[in-house]
Amino acid sequence: MKASWTEIVAHGAFIAVCLALWEWGARTQYLPQTFFGSPIGIAAYLWEGFAVSKKLWHELGYTVAGTLISFLLGSVAAIALGLAFAMFPKLEHAMDPYLAVLNAMPRIALAPLFLLWFGLGIGSKVAVGTSLAFFIVLANTVAGIRGVSQDHIVLSRAMGATRSQIFFKVTLPSAVPVIFSGLRLALIFSMLGVIGAEIIAAEHGLGQVLSYLQSTFNMNGVMGLLLLLACLGMIVTRGMSRLERALLKWQ
Amino acid sequence: MLTPTTAIRIAGLTVRFGEVLAVDDASIDVEPGEFVSIVGPSGCGKTTILNLLTGLVPLESGEISILGKRPVAGNPDIAYMLARDSLLPWRSALGNASYGLEVRGVPREAREAKARQLLARVGLADFEHHWPKQLSHGMRQRAALARTFCLDAPVLLMDEPFGALDAQTKLQLEDLLLELWNAERRTVVFITHDLAEAVALSDRVVVMSARPGRIVEQMPIDLPRPRSVRTLQKSHEFHDIYSDLWEALEAGMKGAPAALQ
Repeated sequence: MKASWTEIVAHGAFIAVCLALWEWGARTQYLPQTFFGSPIGIAAYLWEGFAVSKKLWHELGYTVAGTLISFLLGSVAAIALGLAFAMFPKLEHAMDPYLAVLNAMPRIALAPLFLLWFGLGIGSKVAVGTSLAFFIVLANTVAGIRGVSQDHIVLSRAMGATRSQIFFKVTLPSAVPVIFSGLRLALIFSMLGVIGAEIIAAEHGLGQVLSYLQSTFNMNGVMGLLLLLACLGMIVTRGMSRLERALLKWQ
Repeated sequence: MLTPTTAIRIAGLTVRFGEVLAVDDASIDVEPGEFVSIVGPSGCGKTTILNLLTGLVPLESGEISILGKRPVAGNPDIAYMLARDSLLPWRSALGNASYGLEVRGVPREAREAKARQLLARVGLADFEHHWPKQLSHGMRQRAALARTFCLDAPVLLMDEPFGALDAQTKLQLEDLLLELWNAERRTVVFITHDLAEAVALSDRVVVMSARPGRIVEQMPIDLPRPRSVRTLQKSHEFHDIYSDLWEALEAGMKGAPAALQ
């Protein structure tokens, strides 16, 4: 689904008109700059942050690093535990109530606790992000493994497949698409956790900058960062979808 | 126990699911190379008998032997085919056709050569790298036939393999099955609810009654081989056998054993 040139021109024109109206409103005070900033002011802030002082690159780096570390830790641990559950159903049965309680807890409410335990640095951000990513991927891994087709199992057993052959040749590949949709969600939620924790208290990161800008009424900065976060989220989702399409051609 | 003329021996088989008597004292002997169909109203225990033969369901009462051995899951002497093609969607047609051999430890080159040969015989030579989702229902079931015949198993167990296909595709695949079977004459136990299919394919049709499943008739089908399903449909003999079979089945549905011996 490639957008045609006419579509691109139409979208460009629409956005240009909106931005022009916004800028006009800001200059004539119909749209107070104190609350809404202005498109030129936002552009100037981002230009200064990325091209002149280059300070935003640094902050962006903290947020992206925190997100990726959370995502990796959470996903790897969750997939490992999910697979262990598949092999030892008794383990799942025993752990289920505890996991249910932990999962029911609003993770962002744990942020103050994690701040005390892991400090103001990236550790507490990773803790929040990981705790979000972990449960999403775990739920999807378990669901994926449970969703395996009984026909495939019966057929494989009739052909003489061993337990481990069935696991690696049938159960695991059939669970991969479900695990993958969990991973895509987990990446977004890792970012959410990290930024949320940064807003609460941090030394670095886009969330910390956002919170500072907000408290100093720098609306151009706040708007600029929101735009940046939206772009970041989009890049992340698009990237995961591409990877998924490349890896799961059979779907 | 094993006589050289018996490939599959089922004697005095009785199956209960809790309180329900599913199969009552069924005995069937199948000769090597014989094509036997089992028909009967749904719930009569046809599939149960097949599952017992695969060894996936434990035998509780009665006797079953396949080539002189007790049924056991993963018996290398049998190949099994289901109504749903149950191709693995993440494997190409080639990967699916060679799956059974892979599970049984045949090296890649040998199993892929064999699978290519079978895919060509079922008319999928140009589709070996296609994913199952890219194939039509008929093609998918062709691939499943290739997977089944790819195994060097002397006994084929088929559970309504063409039950989910439209009428034309079904005729094509029945002819294809006859062609594959004719070349090797493996022993086949074929479950179906389609009497025309049973008559067209089989050497003998076993008719079961409604639950509890009893064998009410074992009808030899003396139509000449090799057969073509489409030509058979114009033959009077075929239609006579077909209506005899219907009578036996109707008698069985009433629960009373038919006196049609």
